[in-house]
Amino acid sequence: MSISPIYRPILPLATFLLAIGFHSPVFAGDHGASVFEEECSDCHSVTQGKNKKGPSLFGVVGRNPATIEGYNYSDAMRANHTTWTADRLDAYITAPKKIVPGGKMKYDGLSNAADRTDLIAYLSGLH
Amino acid sequence: MKIRKSIFAPSPIELALLGVAILSMTPSAHALPSYARQTGEDCSSCHVGSFGPQLTPHGIHFKIEGYTDNDGNAGKVPLSGMVVGTFTHTHKGQGQSLEPHFGSNDNTALQEASVFLAGGLTEHLGAFIQATYSDIDRRASFDQMDVRYAHSLQFAGADTILGISVNNLPTVQDPFNTLPAWGFPFVSSDLARTPSSPSSRLSDGFGHQALGMTVYGLWDNRFYAELGGYRTLPTRIQTDLSVGGPGTDRIHGLAPYGRLAYFKDLHKQAYSVGLVGFGAHVEPGGVGGVTDKYQDLGLDASYQFLGDRRHMVSLYGSFIHETQTLDASDSTDPKGHLNQLDLTASYYYDRTYGVSLKEFDINSSRAGSDSRGTILQADWSPFGKEGSWGAPWANLRLGLQYTMYNKFDGTSDNAGDNDTLMAFFWTAF
Repeated sequence: MSISPIYRPILPLATFLLAIGFHSPVFAGDHGASVFEEECSDCHSVTQGKNKKGPSLFGVVGRNPATIEGYNYSDAMRANHTTWTADRLDAYITAPKKIVPGGKMKYDGLSNAADRTDLIAYLSGLH
Repeated sequence: MKIRKSIFAPSPIELALLGVAILSMTPSAHALPSYARQTGEDCSSCHVGSFGPQLTPHGIHFKIEGYTDNDGNAGKVPLSGMVVGTFTHTHKGQGQSLEPHFGSNDNTALQEASVFLAGGLTEHLGAFIQATYSDIDRRASFDQMDVRYAHSLQFAGADTILGISVNNLPTVQDPFNTLPAWGFPFVSSDLARTPSSPSSRLSDGFGHQALGMTVYGLWDNRFYAELGGYRTLPTRIQTDLSVGGPGTDRIHGLAPYGRLAYFKDLHKQAYSVGLVGFGAHVEPGGVGGVTDKYQDLGLDASYQFLGDRRHMVSLYGSFIHETQTLDASDSTDPKGHLNQLDLTASYYYDRTYGVSLKEFDINSSRAGSDSRGTILQADWSPFGKEGSWGAPWANLRLGLQYTMYNKFDGTSDNAGDNDTLMAFFWTAF
């Protein structure tokens, strides 16, 4: 079978991509960071003071809701007075609209319990 | 029902478009945010490779929601700018230059300098309106437009978005990067010879001479449907906007447009499959009477692997079948058809380094109309990520693109003479 010359670089390129893929956080053992990138990073930063469409998640574990200065929280989140413990975050990430009805976070939830555990462990380390 | 209308009596829709166009060209006293400033997000949240217009699922949602999503802070400015510069080399010189002011080969050009009204105008009304100066054409013209009103609600127990789009190019309002207006390549040389035979009417889109309104809905973040129609702008408005004028093709009556798609965002990956339909009766050269009839029906699909965004792979495919009855242009042999296949794959590393490959094939029942080839592109987008220098104002893509033709205007003989190497810089601010 002959291969068009234009496609010949694809095999070495795929090998290269596979190789560098193993250097990604997933394979480096930082699964929680990867879950953050996959699920949260479009709207949230873990940099202190960096709010995007969602508030910064730096130091979120143990924080009281709606307490970041300058971030425009929804009324529903302002009415939520339960501290973001690991368990509370786990429940919120599982089903955001069930825990904070009327909140503005447009996220349908993370069903994988292991992913949630790793994500919260990652966030717990950000202080 | 046939709609009869004088070109000197624009409809309310056309008047609304003109109003929006004038508004977009008038200095505004309102704040002027780009989409990134409006949302507080990085370009990479909505765009593959941290640079438009290839959308991530997050960007698809932003578009469907009417360009209005924001970080809740007022005082943003819905204005952006863009500059594209190109260097073009074709395998064989073109004998005589394609454009005045340029040579037959190895041309450098300021291809586009654009301003955009881009962002939320009210809570539910958002805009993407572009006006462009081309140093090749040596003129400014009204470019792409998509103004939409979108509203979120609960319907049948699921999140639902309903919207209306007023736009000037069929498929410019489509969010999936599979259909012609936003398909790869996102930039190509205006100084290279391209096949003279037409692609499908859905691809040609009547330049920016059309005005359409569509209503659309996304139910349960999965099912997308859209229905609407297009008409040609009155000749004097085309002239005023520098998009056409006397002698351009006109849509006779209303050209219907319909779209169905299933979309699934799984966060680590996403996919879509869809159907699109478009039909137009066309008066060639704007001369009334007998018309050419085009019926386009397309099937499209996409897949994106996003993972943790370090390695992103996107696959796009579309197949458009066009049935032609050219009673005006070819009365001796009016019946014909055209098939247009586009397949694209792209890979981005670290949201910065990208390679893309496209295979295109236009196959027509009319002699001398086939074209087929491959486009390869490598590009580098250093900004547009969290912590990038100058964010969100500084955005840059540098790239090399090579287009190879296996068939050009119906023949393989010397098709490679039209192979084109283009280097480009593309900046947005």
